[in-house]
Amino acid sequence: MKCVILAAGEGKRMHPLTYTRPKVMLPIANKPLLEWNLLNAIDAGIKDFVFVVGYKSEMVRNYFGNGEKWNVNIEYINQGKALGTSHAVGMVERFVDDFIVLCGDTIFGKNDIKNISQKENSMGLLEVKNPHDYGIVELKGKNIVKIYEKMEKPFSNIINAGIYHFNKKLFEYIKKTDKSPRGEYEITDSINLLVKKQTMHGIILKEWRDVVYPWHLLDANEEILKKMKKDIQCDVEKNTTLKGTVIVGKNTKILSGSYIEGPVVIGSDCKIGPNCYIRPYTAIGNNCHIGNACEVKNSIIMDNSNVSHQNYVGDSVIGQNCNLGAGTKVANLRLDKRNIKIVLNGKKLDTKRRKLGTIMGDNVQTGINSMMNVGSMIGNNVFIGLGATAEGEIKPKSKIL
Amino acid sequence: MCGIIGYTGFREANKVLIDCLKRLEYRGYDSAGICVMGKKLQVFKDVGEISKLEKEIPSFKGDIGIGHVRWATHGKVSKENAHPHLSGDKKIALIHNGIIENFQSLKEELQQKGHIFLSQTDSEIIAHVIEEEYTDTLENAVHNALKKIKGSYALVVVSEQEPDKLIGACNESPLVIGVGDNENFFASDIPALLKYTNRVMYLDDGEIAVITKNSIRVIDGKKKEVTKKEEIITWTVKDAEKSGFDHFMLKEIYDQPESIHQVLRGRISEIEETIGFPERVESILNAEFESIHIVACGTSFYAGLVGKYLIEQFTKIPVFVELASEFRYFGVKKDTSLVIAVTQSGETADTLAALREAKSAGCKTIVITNVIGSTATRIADAYVLTQSGPEIGVAATKTFTSQILTLFLLALKEASVRKTLGPDEIYHYILQLKKLPGQVRQILNNSDEIKTVAKHLKDVQSVFFIGRGIHYPLALEGALKLKEISYIHAEGFASGELKHGPFSLLTKDTPVVAIVAKDETYDKMITSIGEVKAREPPVIAIADEKDSEIEKHADFVLRFPSNGSPLSGISIAVILQLLAYHVAKLRGCSIDKPRNLAKSVTVD
Repeated sequence: MKCVILAAGEGKRMHPLTYTRPKVMLPIANKPLLEWNLLNAIDAGIKDFVFVVGYKSEMVRNYFGNGEKWNVNIEYINQGKALGTSHAVGMVERFVDDFIVLCGDTIFGKNDIKNISQKENSMGLLEVKNPHDYGIVELKGKNIVKIYEKMEKPFSNIINAGIYHFNKKLFEYIKKTDKSPRGEYEITDSINLLVKKQTMHGIILKEWRDVVYPWHLLDANEEILKKMKKDIQCDVEKNTTLKGTVIVGKNTKILSGSYIEGPVVIGSDCKIGPNCYIRPYTAIGNNCHIGNACEVKNSIIMDNSNVSHQNYVGDSVIGQNCNLGAGTKVANLRLDKRNIKIVLNGKKLDTKRRKLGTIMGDNVQTGINSMMNVGSMIGNNVFIGLGATAEGEIKPKSKIL
Repeated sequence: MCGIIGYTGFREANKVLIDCLKRLEYRGYDSAGICVMGKKLQVFKDVGEISKLEKEIPSFKGDIGIGHVRWATHGKVSKENAHPHLSGDKKIALIHNGIIENFQSLKEELQQKGHIFLSQTDSEIIAHVIEEEYTDTLENAVHNALKKIKGSYALVVVSEQEPDKLIGACNESPLVIGVGDNENFFASDIPALLKYTNRVMYLDDGEIAVITKNSIRVIDGKKKEVTKKEEIITWTVKDAEKSGFDHFMLKEIYDQPESIHQVLRGRISEIEETIGFPERVESILNAEFESIHIVACGTSFYAGLVGKYLIEQFTKIPVFVELASEFRYFGVKKDTSLVIAVTQSGETADTLAALREAKSAGCKTIVITNVIGSTATRIADAYVLTQSGPEIGVAATKTFTSQILTLFLLALKEASVRKTLGPDEIYHYILQLKKLPGQVRQILNNSDEIKTVAKHLKDVQSVFFIGRGIHYPLALEGALKLKEISYIHAEGFASGELKHGPFSLLTKDTPVVAIVAKDETYDKMITSIGEVKAREPPVIAIADEKDSEIEKHADFVLRFPSNGSPLSGISIAVILQLLAYHVAKLRGCSIDKPRNLAKSVTVD
């Protein structure tokens, strides 16, 4: 049994964060998305993995290597051209017999992975409230009849969850698969060919978190942090408060006056405080600084970034190597309390969130007293001048003065 | 300049090879071919672009193969001359980029042993030499064959007898190994394989690499194993076409050490201390003529002007440089003159018309062009190729220096025919030529000063370029480069002419770029700079690195390596190109496609 994880995608809907990393390397609770799937699959008893990589594949390879660190085997296959999920799965033909496939942009639970891996010719299903965003599955009993892509008026709220158990026969159908209207080879089309000849069993999943847009990272972060256990591996100065589940890595210093309300995860080699307030569902990477009079809430702050002096960061994702100048503040709530709309790749989108701060790419520097408006999407390597306001979508390498 | 690719792995080789070759297609190749190992070697090759041939290529089965796109330099564009080439027993297939200098003697030797050749290429010979050496392993055969071959090459070989491996080797032509998972690649250019992997190893001259889908082994010329470092390419596929440079123009400026190599390759022989050209060119140069007319347009015209100085200096034959658009109507065309047309594309309408006029008047005609098979090569009695490889940027850069060098070689050849230069003098120039690529590289590696100077030019209304002698046409070219890509008004002047009019335009806001070489014009140039300085404009001197006086006269100094011959003009041209480029970049101009301009002007 091999586990194939599709990890080739660039994740354009994850801009600006994926300008500098592939989607599967986005951090959730201080581990890449892909690692959560790897860990859950390992817990489900799987030892052999094939990662289908593509966009910035070296980052995946550098992090996971041959899997030694996790006591498993990891093989890599480069997808070459990004021609769709069916094409990606087709790449592994020579390397698998009986295998499961996981879409890399979704986190699956270990029990669900186990159930799927134990049932040949099966796929994961899910009941959701907003099925029109997904592939709708027509069932006959427990067997799949057909998968319909993104229907306007779905006849069912059972959707395709993106986890499958196949055998070698699949590749015959992959070869017969035609391009979809959006110009890609879709695995769902291959499955629709397959189910005409053989049965495919549907299994309803219990845990499932898909991560499509940057703010979904905050949701996934919250979910995972809720399940984590307290673990403090560093020294904590006097006069600090650590409430609830707080996880802190090695060589981090938590200085006097820090008030941390878990669930919160903090990486290694950080300097936290003095006199800061870190609120629930926050993940702070390695080698970060959260300084005096700073408040961070429900946010992801990636490695080597500094929130050092009198900052407020709420409901935000801050990339690697960012530096917020003294007094830089992030707005995370509209005064009229309406949903926050953002612009991503030039298109307007309703995030359906009432609270959302900024999504900031890597290597951004902000000047003192600069402001990020709600839903500002800031590209990598952006400069925001002192006292400037960042709003809307800001292209990488721009200067806001 | 050809593109080569080799693949071994788990995908269908056919598709991978075509896909990779298509990545190189933007540069415009004339023929293509692939060879896939099935039970036997399966070869397809033809004239045309890969995207057109794609439909005709049979769906060969197999997961190992080689592919090639050709930009002809030796031998015409034909199906036979396209790669891959096979050995006599058809069991070895080879692709090659480069030029084999001793191919004639190897060919004769092999023919005596009964080898029959199907093409006119030097490349086919290598396949046959390897076949001769193939006694135990392919690796040893390649190793031994390369010992017999003189010249430049990047090559990849596959054999039916060892169907799981590819062997690649290079010398003075680039070859990289693309490192994959369960697959490996060879490529002449990184853009070709970037879709499949961004991990590469660069092969060094004289090294041989043996790759299978799971292994890579590199040995040096003494069969000693070499450990290669894997490097990660961080540019995107889109950047890759420009090899990571921001613009094609900059890439092409940086191509010049290689393109200079290419012009000289096969033409200068250090051993025999002579210059050689194709037979038809030589027979024209050996014929009687009283004068030479060089006809061209734009940058090629300025290369022609440089040529005038060189030919007159070396041969004492009077040279007239004419704008093609004028010469076609008004020039005096006598059957006692040789007309040399200079055109990068070989399709410049004005130059073609002038060439036809000259031919029908009975003139002998030679064309200097970058494109084999172009209309100009068919009209002229003989042609010389600049062998620069495709030039995409509209502003000519590497083809300009290659045109000058081609004229330089023609001048030397004619001087040896007419005995106006002795063998010692010619040998002296051959040695100077050999140093050129290194000198150009020196400028490219130290271009920060040029960027600094560019900052001082970016906001001005007008720039003067001045020079004397051979540096006068370079001043014209410097001005042309600046105006065409940065849209700043710029003019080039013979510095002696300033006082006859242009001075009235000179203000303290008109920077002057002065080309100052340590030659007989040096004192005069210093005087000219003095006259300029009296009007207080900033003066940028482009000066010899050994010139210790120049700082006293100029506000900024850009240095070129001492060469002690007219060849320093090549280094100066590179500085002028970089200066124009950086000014245009600072001004945010569309560098590769300046407004209102086209690469090849095929209209009158």
